[in-house]
Amino acid sequence: MILGSFASEKELMRAVDALRSKELGPVETYTPSPPEGEHFILKLVMLIAGLLGTAAGFGMQAYATGISYPIDIGGRPNVFWPAYIPFAVETGFLAAMLAGFIGFLIVNCLPTLYDPIDESDSFRRASLDAWLLAVRTGDPDRAQRVMDILRRLEPVRLEELAS
Amino acid sequence: MSATTMRAPLIEDVVKPGETVSSMTEQVCAVALGERNYLWWWIALVPSAALLGLMVVSVLWLFYQGIQVWGNDWPNVWGFPIICYVWWIGIASGGTFISAFFFLTRAEWRTSINRTAETMTLFTAVCAGIYPILHLGRPWFFYWLFPYPNTMTLWPNFKSPLMWDFIAIFAYIISSVIFWYIGLLPDLAALRDRARSRYAQIAYGIAALGFRGSGTQWRHFRGIYGVMAGIMAPMVCSVHSVVGLDFAGGQMPGWHATDYPPFFVFGAVFSGFATVLLLIIPIRHFWGLRAYITQRHIDVLCRLTLTASCCVAYAYLMEVFSVYYGQDPAELRMFHARVFGFDASVYWATIVLNCLIPQLYWFRTIRRNIPLVVLISVGVVAGMWLERYGIVIQVPHRPHLPSAWGYYHPTFWDWSLFAGTCGLFLTGFLLTIRFVPALSMFEMREVLTGRNPSS
Repeated sequence: MILGSFASEKELMRAVDALRSKELGPVETYTPSPPEGEHFILKLVMLIAGLLGTAAGFGMQAYATGISYPIDIGGRPNVFWPAYIPFAVETGFLAAMLAGFIGFLIVNCLPTLYDPIDESDSFRRASLDAWLLAVRTGDPDRAQRVMDILRRLEPVRLEELAS
Repeated sequence: MSATTMRAPLIEDVVKPGETVSSMTEQVCAVALGERNYLWWWIALVPSAALLGLMVVSVLWLFYQGIQVWGNDWPNVWGFPIICYVWWIGIASGGTFISAFFFLTRAEWRTSINRTAETMTLFTAVCAGIYPILHLGRPWFFYWLFPYPNTMTLWPNFKSPLMWDFIAIFAYIISSVIFWYIGLLPDLAALRDRARSRYAQIAYGIAALGFRGSGTQWRHFRGIYGVMAGIMAPMVCSVHSVVGLDFAGGQMPGWHATDYPPFFVFGAVFSGFATVLLLIIPIRHFWGLRAYITQRHIDVLCRLTLTASCCVAYAYLMEVFSVYYGQDPAELRMFHARVFGFDASVYWATIVLNCLIPQLYWFRTIRRNIPLVVLISVGVVAGMWLERYGIVIQVPHRPHLPSAWGYYHPTFWDWSLFAGTCGLFLTGFLLTIRFVPALSMFEMREVLTGRNPSS
């Protein structure tokens, strides 16, 4: 794994562009602040989970009071939908929040308590003021080309780690 | 001295000029990593833990003796547990409101106080959550409230606001924990990378779950955090509205009112804002965070308290209006007993503390006077407790039938459990701000580098 450390976001982005244009495999950044852009997929997952949670909460109440255990209270209808709304809304909220959290763990393969990148001292500054990029490759030839490109961009530090 | 420095600028900075990402991270991490003087923290923790001990004793005594140790009796079957439950959950709502709602409105002052507000929410919601369970009488059967398949083939009553309340609080506590924890992951990762002792590295490493600030993680993080804030903001309104419906769903004169849900939401955020003020003022002083929690934050929170105070005052006025406009004899009798009865001082203290005194916040000099802000906030928190006393205790004194009229006296165990939950809140809060960053470092980094974190 090749790890390059840069002093600013701008320099990091220049390095990322340089590597991507050469098509040397996936490049991952490690930054103290979120980079531009956001992924859409989990938003969609949360929306679907929220809608399903609401439908499930509503359906369960309708089943309970309409089919499973109908009971006549003062002549009120068994399936009394306005009364189901608060419960259904809350289950929807809860389902969306849980889906967002669990989905976040799944898409990022968390918890991952060890990663080879942890061996690098410069990685510790990635949560403070260092802007890092990592190229994971087992191919020494490709690693050398990545090193050459990065060296020209004057990183604060350039390391090769076992991956 | 020039004229500009003589007079403070109209809009102060959210961060003291000259602060950098490194200085902020070092200062905030120093607290969690044991590199500061913790004398005041111990001075606060010891009595809090003692109160927590009092709570354990009160709960054990309650389990041994049953509900009879409390003052609950007809017509006041709800008594202290429900006063305190509504009070605690109201404070919790204010914290989420600041954290979620002002994230969505892109308020630049939200960043350095949202962690405090969310931590407050977490522990006040826990205090609120245990009260209804203890109040059940047979708390070991609390799971009967869940709609689970059971051998009795019974379901909970889905047409009752009390059931909605149960699911609302349940969903709210879990969602608050998720929202707090997701927002904490980048900061826990930063602590893992700063920690020098092996134990701290392992502990924060596990807590951070392997968040490393990779591009993929950040982009997913940004994706969900905004949506979560968008869920929490309406959720907090729904939760306290349902608390209002617990009362409005009853036939009791004085409770049976359609304005209860919004009235409760106003009161909730009101007490929440005041409590956040009471928490950030000592934190900024003792943790040395004055550069990040500035006069601006206090000023904004005072204005919010003032706005909420006006909303609450409007609700009180509408309560008076509906009583006299409706001319229902039972409502009139109840209301006159509250306003002119022998314990009318509770009603009038509520009005003074919640509606009149906060009007001082119209003046800038008052908003800048920290001791006065603390006093007014304590008054608001106490006033909101008295408001709930009026609703939960005084209203049911005069139900429709005179034969059911009565009075309520709290016992020692009512007070001890209330003091004990204060201990639970303070202990949990103090332990949290000792071991996790008291402000959101990764969002502060964006403020310090001139990028708005919420945009």
